[in-house]
Amino acid sequence: MSVLARSVGNAFRNKVRTAAVVAVLAVAIGLALAMLAANQAVGAKVQELNASVGTVLTVNPAGGQGFEGGGEPLTTGQEATAAGVAYVSAVVGTSSLRLRNAAEAAAQSAAGQTGAGSQGGQGGQGGPGGQSAATLTTNLTAAVDAGTLGNRNQQANGTTGTSGSTQRTVRSLPITATGIGAQVDTTGKALNITEGTGLGDYTAASTGALLGTTLAQKNNLGVGSTFTINDQAYTVSGLFDAGTEFGNNAVYLTLPTAQTLAGTPDELSSMIVTVNSMENVASAKTALQAALGSDKADVTQGQNLQTAVSSLDSVKNISFIAFIAALGTAGLIILLIMVMLVRERRREIGVLKAIGAPNRTIGLQFVLEALVLAALGSAVGAVIASFASGSIASALVSSNTTTTAPTGRGFQGGAGGFPGGQGGPFGGASQLLNSVTASASPGVIAGGIAAVFGVAIIGALVPALLTARIRPIEVLRGE
Amino acid sequence: MIEVKNLVRTFNSGDRTIKPVNNVSFVLEQGTLASIVGKSGSGKSTLLSLLGALDKPTSGDVVVDGVSLAGLPDGKLTEYRRRDIGFVFQQFNLIPNLSAVDNVMLPMEFAGMKKSARLQRAKELLEQVQLDPSKHERRINRLSGGEQQRVAIARALANEPKLILADEPTGNLDEQTGDHIIGLLSSLSRDHNTTILVVTHDRALANKTDRRFRLQQGNLTEEPVRGRTAAAANA
Ligand SMILES: Nc1ncnc2c1ncn2[C@@H]1O[C@H](COP(=O)(O)OP(=O)(O)OP(=O)(O)O)[C@@H](O)[C@H]1O
Ligand SMILES: [Mg+2]
Repeated sequence: MSVLARSVGNAFRNKVRTAAVVAVLAVAIGLALAMLAANQAVGAKVQELNASVGTVLTVNPAGGQGFEGGGEPLTTGQEATAAGVAYVSAVVGTSSLRLRNAAEAAAQSAAGQTGAGSQGGQGGQGGPGGQSAATLTTNLTAAVDAGTLGNRNQQANGTTGTSGSTQRTVRSLPITATGIGAQVDTTGKALNITEGTGLGDYTAASTGALLGTTLAQKNNLGVGSTFTINDQAYTVSGLFDAGTEFGNNAVYLTLPTAQTLAGTPDELSSMIVTVNSMENVASAKTALQAALGSDKADVTQGQNLQTAVSSLDSVKNISFIAFIAALGTAGLIILLIMVMLVRERRREIGVLKAIGAPNRTIGLQFVLEALVLAALGSAVGAVIASFASGSIASALVSSNTTTTAPTGRGFQGGAGGFPGGQGGPFGGASQLLNSVTASASPGVIAGGIAAVFGVAIIGALVPALLTARIRPIEVLRGE
Repeated sequence: MIEVKNLVRTFNSGDRTIKPVNNVSFVLEQGTLASIVGKSGSGKSTLLSLLGALDKPTSGDVVVDGVSLAGLPDGKLTEYRRRDIGFVFQQFNLIPNLSAVDNVMLPMEFAGMKKSARLQRAKELLEQVQLDPSKHERRINRLSGGEQQRVAIARALANEPKLILADEPTGNLDEQTGDHIIGLLSSLSRDHNTTILVVTHDRALANKTDRRFRLQQGNLTEEPVRGRTAAAANA
């Protein structure tokens, strides 16, 4: 019979009470573990989101986020200013164009349907880039037709009168053409060229163009094929896959080519600024905003993801506080139970002292007994956590992100007409939130249980130290 | 050798103080078998608890082999109880959820004895006090009063103490078993030079001791006994 064996024996001395204590402990520990799992899962998601925002800042003309547009366009001079800001490693200018199918445009104007309403609707689709995107004609047909855009199509029909059914067939989305100063998409990510080659020097005028895979497919174009913009021929030098439907309904040109087409050689629709490292993004953003002037330019860092990240961050904080609170509760339960046990076994502790047990042996015996209870509580708690953590995490995430969901959708809408790529990663923000699933990994559970044991030891230490104050003469006191 | 010097223990109960041990002094040579008799409430258990360092005297001192208990820190007193004292409590005070063997092994565990050695010694001791081997592994709360008393005696002998303090060790035993226990204590004092002080109401036991003390309202007086030495001399 060792101290440990005695502790285990004592833990089961009153089985009904032990069961009750373990049940209460298990709830607290289960909650703590579930909160820890949620915390870890959300933390991982935050990291993932931050990584996807990466080191890229986007600069748009001031006031350019509104549907009505406005503000001065950005200039190549500002590009140079941006490049001079600390921590900025690269600045890529973009010039957005909106291409409309020439035949479709002709048919529409013939039908006299160029009402203010329909323009307004398209302006809305244009989003941030809208105010500076010149509309040009092309022989390309958009790969995304308006029919896929449900409610927006509905809205457009509402403004164009009663003959909706015939118009739906001719209405299609504009194609986004973007002049870029480097082989990146509008979020600053390198373009994924699936066929052919890039455009070589993106800062020189060229008749080469990159087409999104679905756009090329829709128009039966391949590498080497030609198409027209404003009756001028361009050659497809490569195809790219942006990974999304909108992203692939796009054309990339070199920056000077797009600027010439738009008739604004020194103007930029936006700038994609790459910061040299993750840690410097925040300070670079501030410096950039200051250098460009807040009346001239808006510097954003994947704005929507930031909302997502900050709401996830608050979920992370809440779950951490809840973890600590549940852990503290478990510790308190152990403390109270052990204080009660020590009081109850005063006489027995007196006996042990009377026959020569050192204080530390008795203290150890009580700490071990507390750990036995903690171990049982953890075992049951881990089972509870493994069932509850998923629903707890999603409940936490959804209750804390419902406020951001409309924002997410709003942006997605705006992004539709904005140069392709953004529809994908940004529009998916709300889905990203929902995909936070707290599957309690063994490592996290083990860490949590270690914390429980730490708290159990602290909780048991107080009563264990109390035993040192019990004098051996207690043995002669009546029960 | 144990020297008791002007030992006083007072208790405050309400507005009056009681002195169950009032200026008690005596000396016991090593190997003496002595008894204390006295009425209920006369302070016998209180005196024993002071000798066994379970309690601290209000004044006075107990000197064991030249070492004053009054001067020892708590840690040393624990060691004294563990190594030098075997205490048989009036109420047995065994750990109820442990077996007889486990109870007897406890003091040996605290003394750091190896498990196999303490198991073997515990079984031997239980045999010496005539506890049926079938009851060695039985939990204390399933043993009779007399059986518990013998387990308590076995536990007191566990670490081969030089002083055994036994409070009514035969109170719950039948005459035959009681005689056996008396014989056991007697042989311990004779063969192992163990000093033994028993509190008893049992005349037979009191008459077989070397010395006999009477406690009356806290005052200790020695009474002449024919005693063991006389009996042995006559034999
Ligand atoms: N902690 C205490 N506080 C107050 N009074 C006490 C305390 N302990 C013992 N007493 C009193 O001291 C007196 C002596 O008690 P003690 O237990 O020593 O008697 P005893 O001689 O062993 O009696 P018995 O033969 O019945 O066992 C009693 O009157 C008892 O009530
Ligand atoms: Mg008594």
